[in-house]
Amino acid sequence: MYVRVFAAVWLLACAGLALLAWGFEAPFAYDPVGPRAYPLLLLFLMACGAAWLLFKPHGEPTPAFDRAKAQRAVLCVLALLAYALLFEILGFVISTALAGFALGLLFNGRLWPSVISGALLGVLLYGLFDYLLDVPLPLGLLRLLES
Amino acid sequence: MKTRLSRIALLSSCLLLSSQLLAEPKRPECIAPAKPGGGFDLTCKLAQSGLKDAGLLKAPMRVTYMPGGVGAVAYNAVVAQRAAEAGTITAFSSGSLLNLAQGKFGRYDETAVRWLAAVGTDYGAISVRADAPYQSLDDLIAAVKKDPGSVVFGAGATIGGQDWMQTALIARAAGVDPQKLRYVAFEGGGETLTAMLGGHVQVTSSGLGEVTPQLDAGKIRILAVLSDERLPGKLNGIPTAKEQGYDISWPVIRGFYMGPEVSDEDFNWWKSQFDSLLADEDFAKLREQRDLFPLSMTGDELKAFVEKQVQDYKALAGEFGLVK
Amino acid sequence: METLNFLMQGFDVATRPTNLLVALFGAFVGTVVGLLPGLGPINGVALLLPLAFALGLPPETALILLAAVYLGCEYGGRISAILLNVPGDAAAVMTTLDGYPLARQGKAGIALSLSAVSSFVGSIIATCGVVLFAPLLAKWAVAFGPAEYFVLMIFAIACLGGMVGDKPVKTLMAALMGLALATVGVDSTTGVYRFTFGSVSLSDGIQFVIVVIGFFSVSEILLMLEKTHSGQKAVKASGRLLFNFKEFCLTFWTMVRSAVAGFVIGTLPGAGATIASAMTYMSEKRMAGDKGRFGDGDLRGLAAPEAANNASACGSLIPMLTLGVPGSGTTAVMIGALTLYNITPGPLLFEQQPDVVWGLIASLFIGNVILLIMNIPLVGLFSRMLSVPNWVLVPTITVISMVGVYSVHSTVFDLVLMVGLGVFGYLLRKLDFPLSALILGFVLGEMMEDNLRRALSISNGELGILYGSPITLALWALTVAMLAMPGLRWYLKRRRGNAVEAQA
Repeated sequence: MYVRVFAAVWLLACAGLALLAWGFEAPFAYDPVGPRAYPLLLLFLMACGAAWLLFKPHGEPTPAFDRAKAQRAVLCVLALLAYALLFEILGFVISTALAGFALGLLFNGRLWPSVISGALLGVLLYGLFDYLLDVPLPLGLLRLLES
Repeated sequence: MKTRLSRIALLSSCLLLSSQLLAEPKRPECIAPAKPGGGFDLTCKLAQSGLKDAGLLKAPMRVTYMPGGVGAVAYNAVVAQRAAEAGTITAFSSGSLLNLAQGKFGRYDETAVRWLAAVGTDYGAISVRADAPYQSLDDLIAAVKKDPGSVVFGAGATIGGQDWMQTALIARAAGVDPQKLRYVAFEGGGETLTAMLGGHVQVTSSGLGEVTPQLDAGKIRILAVLSDERLPGKLNGIPTAKEQGYDISWPVIRGFYMGPEVSDEDFNWWKSQFDSLLADEDFAKLREQRDLFPLSMTGDELKAFVEKQVQDYKALAGEFGLVK
Repeated sequence: METLNFLMQGFDVATRPTNLLVALFGAFVGTVVGLLPGLGPINGVALLLPLAFALGLPPETALILLAAVYLGCEYGGRISAILLNVPGDAAAVMTTLDGYPLARQGKAGIALSLSAVSSFVGSIIATCGVVLFAPLLAKWAVAFGPAEYFVLMIFAIACLGGMVGDKPVKTLMAALMGLALATVGVDSTTGVYRFTFGSVSLSDGIQFVIVVIGFFSVSEILLMLEKTHSGQKAVKASGRLLFNFKEFCLTFWTMVRSAVAGFVIGTLPGAGATIASAMTYMSEKRMAGDKGRFGDGDLRGLAAPEAANNASACGSLIPMLTLGVPGSGTTAVMIGALTLYNITPGPLLFEQQPDVVWGLIASLFIGNVILLIMNIPLVGLFSRMLSVPNWVLVPTITVISMVGVYSVHSTVFDLVLMVGLGVFGYLLRKLDFPLSALILGFVLGEMMEDNLRRALSISNGELGILYGSPITLALWALTVAMLAMPGLRWYLKRRRGNAVEAQA
């Protein structure tokens, strides 16, 4: 069932992308293939595959939809997204501490250990990467403290 | 008299030093819009070690990598997200300007940033295998004129990239439509050279720095370097295109820009540091080690140069049918 | 004889106390970096490059450090592949296929120690190959032009046919998705932007690091979430830590064969460890036939890709040292390191900088011994990694994945993209699409299209170039043989089946 839904969505996506790919035109090209043929070929093949799955999905049972599981997955994705988006704004240390805390809780950690592990991750990894390995990481809000 | 003079000198140098110390921005950073090890990385490293060795920058300068679109990603990030960072300088090259001119840098144009300094230049080069029938640029152009399909050009650039432009200029000199050439796009100069040494393409169009090692090994012949005059030093033996009667020159300048909202004070601090750096003899040696030739422009001079360059590139792109 | 003298000279350089110390440090750091999910040899070498330069190490020492890190990462990459089912880089994808099932069967210790020995055998054989063939192979590698590369890609994809298994349509779809993902970004022939949706951040396409971290680390985190909920225990290492003599004998020839194949593939510029590990895995699977339990915890399925990817890592030093052409992303970074020291890798390097070249080669031998010694006793320590509770492990994986992506690109866009790909990868995994096919498609896709179009630009559109040279013809022949094999085996099986039926 899920495979069918996915195949249907993918079929639509292929159609949309094919429309987009139709517009790939170079002013000129030295090879006879050009920038358009290869993506269109791939999309066509994928559409065939999706159609196949739509009409003849492999006979696997459909597991029951588990609301609690899905809820946690969504929460986890949201936490990851928030982490990514706040990475530069809040800076590495603060955003990591928050994300470490949130993920720790999601993965059944207790409150205080999660707080501590998050904070430690932020500070220690910042030290490791920024000072030892010379990978510059964003300071974010902490930049204000500096000046 | 003498002591007084030296005292004044000492005092003024102290003042200068302290004013520099006061104005030096926190957390200096150089954005290299490429992966580690690429040309932009070398540009950043050049500034990094140059500024440090000359004592012009106290805090260590970090190098951040931001690859994508010959600088497009970094350009957009600097303009949109890091516009006011006083400690951040970003490397650029002629290749970035070329893409900028063709509208491949998104919605920003060449006026969106503050052009800080150009620190050196490389030149384009046209080379063939040592056993190739072409002895000079004349031979090559004659062959292209006779039958554009008889010569396969290879270069590490897409259509519209720098190395392609060099090929197109050759075609123009031969009176041939660049679209009639046979041209193969590789990833970078190294791949192109290997393909040429393997006999898969006949001519390599690239930066000079990318082919000189093979020149030392005696495997290739450089038909022309695309500079206005002969180069100094050991590369003096390579003829320019100009002296062979073709008005083709293709400098590949390397330099830095800063965000649009950096204050005049900070910008001028960096400008004066680069001015002293570019006048420094040790820096000249450092630059030579990295296969770059002297070129010094800062501030308004560079801005004017960049704007003119972008206009020229736009004209060329239009002429070669790259923009409709 | 001359080679031997040079090699002795190299050992002289490599056994200087500083260089030995640096090799030890590099091997350790490399193993740790390779162990971290999402961080591979490219990250390791790239991270230490500025450090080596900042410390003012002489060129041969810096190169020894980087080579030790490179080797260490190849050793370390297998650990996360086996224990967490998260390949550190594309080359380790094949290691997960049998390594993870072994770990789940409680044989994590055996898997780890055996793969360490496989890595060792692979590296040592390949290093001997470097010594013998480095000067000779230079000529041969140059003969590979775009047409030859294109046919090589076709051959590699034909080899992937063995992965199809019991869900051909899904495998095919996954590979196609990988191929399609690779088309995002600037078209390297005409410069047209494809599928960038107007964003400059996609102008160079989606970087491999992001794809691999997204599809493997992030989706793994989401999968782990479910496991905690249902109360399942993570894989625990128990039983023997060391493989026994019988297991060693079973895999010995696999290691040797795979090492030789991996070395040869590694010497081809651009081909690299991914193809090497995939191809040797497939051919070992074929050779084992029905008796093998490949994909279900066969020791040979673990030994083959490990020996091959280490061998190809060493092999890729050949094009780097002799031609100045990187055979992989990592050697590209190492070429960058050499240029920092104003040493240009190329045909002249062997003559002008014998200390650097032979010191490096000698240090490969030494580094491997160090790594083997380090890895066997530390197996217990590495196996214990899994007893770290999820609420510590997951945030750590997350943070390091983020840093891994951020250090390469420094943009938030890529972080968000990574999460997006992770969610997509999670869905695909839930729907039972094999992600390893997707990753391999992604790696091969760009090379395949580019080389086809390059070949056709060279020939002015004539298809003849694709089968015009002896190399292409040989590769086509191999491809046909590879494709014919399953059919042939099916035919034989059916005949045998019929015979059995007739008897009964």
